[in-house]
Formats: sequence, C-alpha cells, structure tokens
Amino acid sequence: MGHGRYIDPLVDTRSVPGMTHVVKAGEKLELEFVVLPGESRDIDVSVDLTGPGAELSLKALYLCKADEKVNFRILVHHRAPGCRSTQLVNGIAGGTSNVTFHGTIVVAPDAQKTEAFQENHNILFSDSAKVETRPQLEIYADDVKCSHGATVGRLNEDELFYMRSRGIPRKEAESLQMISFLTPVIPEGRREEIENAIRSL
Amino acid sequence: MLEIKNLHASVEDKEILKGVDLEIGPGEIHAVMGPNGAGKSTLAAVLTGRPGYTVTEGSVTFFGKDLLSMSPEERAWAGLFLSFQYPIEIPGVTITAFMKAAVNAKRSANGQEELKAGEYLKLQKEKMAFLNMKPEFAKREVNVGFSGGEKKRNEIFQMAMLDPSLSILDETDSGLDVDALKIVADGVNALRSPEKSAIIVTHYHKLLEYVQPDFVHVLKDGRIVKTGGRELIDAIESEGFDQF
Repeated sequence: MGHGRYIDPLVDTRSVPGMTHVVKAGEKLELEFVVLPGESRDIDVSVDLTGPGAELSLKALYLCKADEKVNFRILVHHRAPGCRSTQLVNGIAGGTSNVTFHGTIVVAPDAQKTEAFQENHNILFSDSAKVETRPQLEIYADDVKCSHGATVGRLNEDELFYMRSRGIPRKEAESLQMISFLTPVIPEGRREEIENAIRSL
Repeated sequence: MLEIKNLHASVEDKEILKGVDLEIGPGEIHAVMGPNGAGKSTLAAVLTGRPGYTVTEGSVTFFGKDLLSMSPEERAWAGLFLSFQYPIEIPGVTITAFMKAAVNAKRSANGQEELKAGEYLKLQKEKMAFLNMKPEFAKREVNVGFSGGEKKRNEIFQMAMLDPSLSILDETDSGLDVDALKIVADGVNALRSPEKSAIIVTHYHKLLEYVQPDFVHVLKDGRIVKTGGRELIDAIESEGFDQF
C-alpha cells in the first residue's frame, strides 16, 4: 500500500502550518471543530502519535450557506506501534461556499498494529457550492488496519419523500436529514445550537 | 372520498398506469391485487406524490379537491397516509422527535394549535398502549436497526398518530414475512371505523386472510380489469392472474 519514500514529518515540507499536537504513549487526544454558517476558516492540524497506544479522535462539522471558504488540512502521523486514530469530518456546503478537505494519514515503518480511520462526507446544498475532498493514506508498515472514505452528495429525495408523506414540510424534512447526517459529529452539549444553525441554512 | 378517473402515469417515459378508474367511499377497505409489474406500487406512489412519477392523463380528487396538484405534505395534511413497503432509516432522529414534527405540522396546516411537549407525549402514550407497543420504542432512532416487523409496527404507529382519512398500504412484495403482514393487518383492523378508508396494495393473498376487504380489484397491465368481493381472492389463489 505504501508508495514512495517514507519522509519523517519533522522534515516533511507538506506538514501543515499551525499547531502540531504530540500524543505520547497511552495518551488520548480528542479534537472537535465546529464551523458555523458565516465563518470562513482554515483548520490546519497535525497530530503526531509518538508513543505506543496513543489515540486520536478528531470530529469536525461545517455548515456553509453563503460565500464561506473552509479548508481542512489534516495530517495524522502514526510513528509508534499500536496507536489508533479516527477522523470524521462531515458538513453541508450551501450558497457559493467553497470547501476543501485534504487529509493525510502516514503510518511509519515501525508503527505496526496501527488502526487509522478517516471519513469525510459532504452534502452539496446548492448548485453553486463546491467541495473538493482528497483523502490520502501513506502506509509503510504491513500489519495495520486503515481505511478512508469520502463522499460528496446531495440530500436524498427518497428520505425526504418519506418525511413529507408524514406531513413534514420540505424545508423541515431537509433540516431533519441534515441533523441526521451530522449527528455523529455534533459535540456533546451543542446539539440545540447546531440544530438551530442547520435550520438557518 | 377518493375518485380516480382515467389515470395514466409514467416513470422515465415508460407508461405504467394506462387508465385506472377507482372510487373509494368512507369506511371502505379496498384491496388492489395484481401480478408483478402491473403498476400497483406506481399507483400508491402517484397517489401520494412520490417524485419521479409523471401523470400524463386523468384526474384524482380527494374530498373534492385536486389531489395531483398538491405536494406530498399537503396530501398528508388533507388526510392521506402511505405505509411504506420499505421504510427509510433516519439515524439521529428519535421516533418522538419525528412524529412530533409530523403531528404538529399537520395540526398547524389545518388551523389547529400545535401540541405542547406534554400533550404530545400523552397522545403518543395512548396510541402506543392501544397498539400494544412498549413506550421505550419511541426513544429509538427512526427505523434504525429495526427488524422487518418493527418497521411495520412503526408504520402502523405513525398511521395511528396521524389519524388519516385514507391509508394506502403498499405491501407489494411477496417476500415479506407473515408476522410483518399480520402486524399491518392488525393495525388496519384496530383503526377501522365508519369514516376511515384504506387501500391495500398487495401481490399476496396472505395479508387478506387477516383483513377483510370490502372490494377487491385486479390491476393488470396498468388498468383495473376486474372488481368484486372476497370471492376474487379465492379465484386468484386457485388460478392466478392469467384468467383476467
């Protein structure tokens, strides 16, 4: 699965600007990002899992309804054996917004028994919004469980019809579908705020 | 209540319904039976306004109003309900949240005040008790991880909550298990009244062993070719649809 030469992140010029989080043996880092309508953001995150058993859980959601520009650049580097990382980035791109997701997982040669998962799912809520998603795996160890998935889609008319056939107006049916889609990335305690933001799209 | 006249409908330019005529009065249960591909699911879809179906000719009135010009939600507010053959899963949305939105949208459209949380929960509890359902059911996410029977039960529960004048039950698939069909049948029987009507669309006579229809129609190649009573079910069971 590996391709090219393994480059240590410390000298890797592709390393994203911004903060690098170092997660040591046995530690767990949880990162949550919420980008609300009207906000343009560059979210640059590097995470180095440097000790055995280190863990990362990254969840992000974005909601765009105008001309926002939201860029995710995420680099997760598994440098030690037995580490686990999960990334889930979901969002809704409406208006004329422009969203990019560049996510890279690097598994170093001695990072055996790595588990690394990355998902990026996007819903286009207007014909003028743009989403570009580029997930990347660079694996240099052989005993690993890694997966990534990326989708760019639209609201599902069959689901909307199910709700509308119960008398739920189209606009509210759309909101419920978006709430459903974003539920896995809504941080605890912020559900009401985010549901309101979804209904404002 | 419902009057269908010379209804023609197509899916992707292929004509499926080729002139359906059907009248449903209050309190009546009609079974629409027919072989695969006859247009049974299309009839249910067109009546409830599913996207992707084009009506090319004919008319449908519901309580005197033009049904075909209404959106799916307007049809629900007017008292139409469709029980889905394969209900959709909505992760992250509980049955309570989903049905509260539906019940209140209908009330609001019909000029009634929306139910407050407490009032809604009381209504939900009554309907669930009536259908012998456990209260925990309402806390689950809509259809997520439900068995076939649980999905059917959820459809019937939604039907009870929305109290429609006309329910359309799409049970076209002959592959559904008998327990799931029995849940549908029990629900229809429990909710039967002199004002409420139902159309049961099915391939399968099994369902009609549990629900007694007042009328049986045979739909074949996009038209209703025969209308009768229970005796038609027996005729279909013994000799199939080729006789029509």
